[in-house]
Amino acid sequence: MIFKIEDVTVYFPYDNIYPEQYEYMVELKRALDAKGHCLLEMPTGTGKTIALLSLITSYRLSRPDSPIKLVYCTRTVHEMEKTLGELKLLHDYQVRHLGTQAKILALGLSSRKNLCVNTKVLAAENRDSVDAACRKRTASWVRALSTENPNVELCDFFENYEKAAENALLPPGVYTLEDLRAFGKNRGWCPYFLARHMIQFANVIVYSYQYLLDPKVAGFISKELQKESVVVFDEAHNIDNVCIEALSVSVRRVTLEGANRNLNKIRQEIDSSYYIIEIVQLVGRFKATDAGRLRAEYNRLVEGLALRGDLSGGDQWLANPALPHDILKEAVPGNIRRAEHFVHVLRRLLQYLGVRLDTENVEKESPVSFVSSLNSQAGIEQKTLKFCYDRLQSLMLTLEITDTDEFLPIQTVCDFATLVGTYARGFSIIIEPYDERMPHIPDPILQLSCHDASLAIKPVFDRFQSVVITSGTLSPIDLYPRLLNFTPVVSRSFKMSMTRDCICPMVLTRGSDQLPVSTKFDMRSDPGVVRNYGKLLVEMVSIVPDGVVCFFVSYSYMDGIIATWNETGILKEIMQQKLVFIETQDVVETTLALDNYRRACDCGRGAVFFSVARGKVAEGIDFDRHYGRLVVMYGVPFQYTLSKILRARLEYLHDTFQIKEGDFLTFDALRQAAQCVGRVIRSKADYGMMIFADKRYSRHDKRSKLPGWILSHLRDAHLNLSTDMAIHIAREFLRKMAQPYDKAGTMGRKTLLTQEDLEKMAETGVQDMAY
Amino acid sequence: EEEDDEDGIGEWERAYVDDRSWEELQEDESGLLRPIDNSAIYHAQYRRRLRAGTRIQKGLIRYLYIVIDFSRAAAEMDFRPSRMAIMAKHVEAFIREFFDQNPLSQIGLVSIKNGVAHTLTDLGGSPETHIKALMGKLEALGDSSLQNALELVHEHLNQVPSYGHREVLILYSALCTCDPGDIMETIQKCKKSKLRCSVIGLSAEMFICKHLCQETGGLYSVAVDEVHLKDLLLEHAPPPPAIAEFAIANLIKMGFPQRAAEGSMAICSCHKEVKIGAGYMCPRCKARVCDLPTECTICGLTLVSSPHLARSYHHLFPIAPFDEVPALSDNRRKLGKSCFGCQQSLIGAGNKPVPCVTCRKCKHYFCLDCDIYIHESLHNCPGCESIH
Repeated sequence: MIFKIEDVTVYFPYDNIYPEQYEYMVELKRALDAKGHCLLEMPTGTGKTIALLSLITSYRLSRPDSPIKLVYCTRTVHEMEKTLGELKLLHDYQVRHLGTQAKILALGLSSRKNLCVNTKVLAAENRDSVDAACRKRTASWVRALSTENPNVELCDFFENYEKAAENALLPPGVYTLEDLRAFGKNRGWCPYFLARHMIQFANVIVYSYQYLLDPKVAGFISKELQKESVVVFDEAHNIDNVCIEALSVSVRRVTLEGANRNLNKIRQEIDSSYYIIEIVQLVGRFKATDAGRLRAEYNRLVEGLALRGDLSGGDQWLANPALPHDILKEAVPGNIRRAEHFVHVLRRLLQYLGVRLDTENVEKESPVSFVSSLNSQAGIEQKTLKFCYDRLQSLMLTLEITDTDEFLPIQTVCDFATLVGTYARGFSIIIEPYDERMPHIPDPILQLSCHDASLAIKPVFDRFQSVVITSGTLSPIDLYPRLLNFTPVVSRSFKMSMTRDCICPMVLTRGSDQLPVSTKFDMRSDPGVVRNYGKLLVEMVSIVPDGVVCFFVSYSYMDGIIATWNETGILKEIMQQKLVFIETQDVVETTLALDNYRRACDCGRGAVFFSVARGKVAEGIDFDRHYGRLVVMYGVPFQYTLSKILRARLEYLHDTFQIKEGDFLTFDALRQAAQCVGRVIRSKADYGMMIFADKRYSRHDKRSKLPGWILSHLRDAHLNLSTDMAIHIAREFLRKMAQPYDKAGTMGRKTLLTQEDLEKMAETGVQDMAY
Repeated sequence: EEEDDEDGIGEWERAYVDDRSWEELQEDESGLLRPIDNSAIYHAQYRRRLRAGTRIQKGLIRYLYIVIDFSRAAAEMDFRPSRMAIMAKHVEAFIREFFDQNPLSQIGLVSIKNGVAHTLTDLGGSPETHIKALMGKLEALGDSSLQNALELVHEHLNQVPSYGHREVLILYSALCTCDPGDIMETIQKCKKSKLRCSVIGLSAEMFICKHLCQETGGLYSVAVDEVHLKDLLLEHAPPPPAIAEFAIANLIKMGFPQRAAEGSMAICSCHKEVKIGAGYMCPRCKARVCDLPTECTICGLTLVSSPHLARSYHHLFPIAPFDEVPALSDNRRKLGKSCFGCQQSLIGAGNKPVPCVTCRKCKHYFCLDCDIYIHESLHNCPGCESIH
């Protein structure tokens, strides 16, 4: 359908539109007009993505003189593919209605592992080794060498791509990763490099958060994006954590050992370079080879040339971990200009870190004091530290090292050094000799943790004209601007319009014996609570069909409770009705469990999945339709409050942004809980129940932080239930939902708007819309 | 007091807690409590059904297996006195209704218990045998297995002649199925042999049941309460639309046996004993059978009587659905003030017109009750008939 929002003609590929989608577009358009940032919360399953895409592309079409670029950031590759799929549909629709002028170039960008078409490279098992395998075939010096030595293996796809040079272009269209691979295979061009090259010409780019937020990657991938871009962060409820992770580094003993090995190797390389030069002088045949290169590098550094960019262009792969505006445009300090000296500095640094790791107590330090003690004990200055990463990069390029995956430890250490040297505020260094939960196993770890989410995202806000942060759960919506330190022009939360009450949230506060249940620290191991939780599940599995998902507050709690259930026979009772699957920290195992869980749901056997809030499953896996008819959230998923890192962050938040400790903890716990229970409903045709099993949810201060679309379905009668009441409600609900229903909502509540409805609405104003 | 402690609620409370009879009441404008009025909804449902099934070819000769799930879940008490008893009760009513509407068809019964499917009765045309077998032993045990039941039914139905419509109606009270193998394969097998599988669930929607019904073209429904269960069951009584492959007209050999003379003696072929009087004689092999319609046990000829054929006939030529009359049309004032069927006034309390319908052909007016009666039982429009 085609309709107008103020002065923009919107092309929407479906015949009907939900009222909330329309409102979403109106708000989004205002934000674009104001060239400002916005925060929009809309429940999943309401077609957020298509609303967003269709408004922004239509906006672009209506302003042909100032074309905006859309940068769409997703969390996972799967979401990326889904987004591109929708865009494809939309694009077809627009081209059909507008002809070729509506044509755009849209593409997804991912790591080499997802884009590579060279079978030999793809044989490597993980991302880092694929990257390394690629570099082994595409680095400039390898290619130069191959002209003399035909035995050196190159990548044909890359060679063809290079040969085509400026002519290697993608015709307009929408390219998913699959399409890119197919195109690359067809033409014989490397899809990865082609995609990276095409970014500057594309109208829509879909990629992962890291490409914008992690300075190490953003530096060379997203450098050339114009200011007139709209950046969208989808599913952004955890964006603050992503920002923090992008700037946090942790060093363990294995890292140090690995780094030491790396240094030895580098040392050897350097020595052999000099060795060669001696032979060369003896034989007197060649002029400058390796040693020459080292010298040339030294000279360059003396001259103070910018580190990156001057080296052969295609070989950039290590960008500075600090944010662009924090990198000083200075020459590299004299004491690390020579390769040998730099290696010595690194050795001293490693030694110092090793000593620090040997501590018996937990230590917490600010970067400033860390740097000063480093200076006094190891004689490394702050400025030297700051340049570690760049210097390492330069050295590795000079030595023509391609096995980058092997050199990860030393990169981590240099990463750490640079960040410590650059930032004095918003960070702290925490050394823990053992894991708090397992005090007898020594596992020292040194963490540089960033507390300020606004640091990593600041350049994004500064650089682009509009940044859209959207997700199904952004409540309370006023906290995000404070956490990320920006002022949105629009921040709104939308409700879901539904023809039937397809979600049924309940707060369960008591077991069937009327005793309160909670995972509060002093209650969680009470056998009565454990039993009541168990009984709840036993009853539920006997009345809920197909899939049931349970979320626990932590792995240790889950392990404990399952063990107790096993002893008391509750687990057996559950197994009579449904199969039980458990998430573990092992990804492969969990994937297998999930796969079998789905199969059990499909074939009618029914299954229960035990999972952990904040785990991989809670974040990325959908339990829609029959894969999740019920989700039980056992307890309030607070973070581990004794964690040193969390404490430091809370302190920082309190001092800098005046966010109260309790507020932040509750906010964080409730967004996790909402995220968990939100897994069951992915579309309006779907239905599911949500049980919040903890007495604390009945308190207003906790409950009110749940997103509006859950709250609006949480009836007063469902706020303080015991197990038997919950069972009854569940039975009724499931029966009601099993009845056929009419999708358009003709019974008074209009949830699908047609073209005429919209036109009528444009006259009377949006407010009259019925929810 | 001790009892109270055991499960939290006393016996006297339980009746209310389980029944929740207050939920069936609602407050009207004047604050009086009255039962929720569902008649309008029911009528709307009925109209929808009527519209869906007009003038399409139907399979009149049906071979229906009713599968009843007597697993553990059937003992649950959310239907009073228990799911099992309610299922049996309504299946009984259904069997009678079924033979009334489809005299040429046959039914067989299968039960699931302890994860195994048992044949209660083989295909046959006598309602009494089925009902007796069904009521024989009501108990609910063990797990339920959809696959076992389907396999068994598939085996039975694979042997019926190709002109017959193979149908399975499953009453499923459990929420899971413990199968020995891959149920998807079994579903595909059923689809291949054109088994139309319908499921009526008693508690909640299950994916596998939905999938089964979608694949095989059956209906899937879940009963909300006892009345609803009954309605859902009876929906399966009229013949379903014919499957495309069967839509070609078929000639079927049938015998119209004569009633044996009073007092004649013969060995009954169905009970294998000497009987005096009553009974029918197969026109081909002269064997004696007790009931019609049936299949001759000796020569396998289908034996029917002509009223049976006539009763099946109306499914093919149903009365066109009546049009609803808008409440305030001029025509209405002029014409009938009372229903042509029952002669009751069509003007209700406070001179408010009662919703009514009109026949397209004879233009007579009927009340909603008569509308349902004419279409579901009478199969003749009194208005049109009286013109002749």
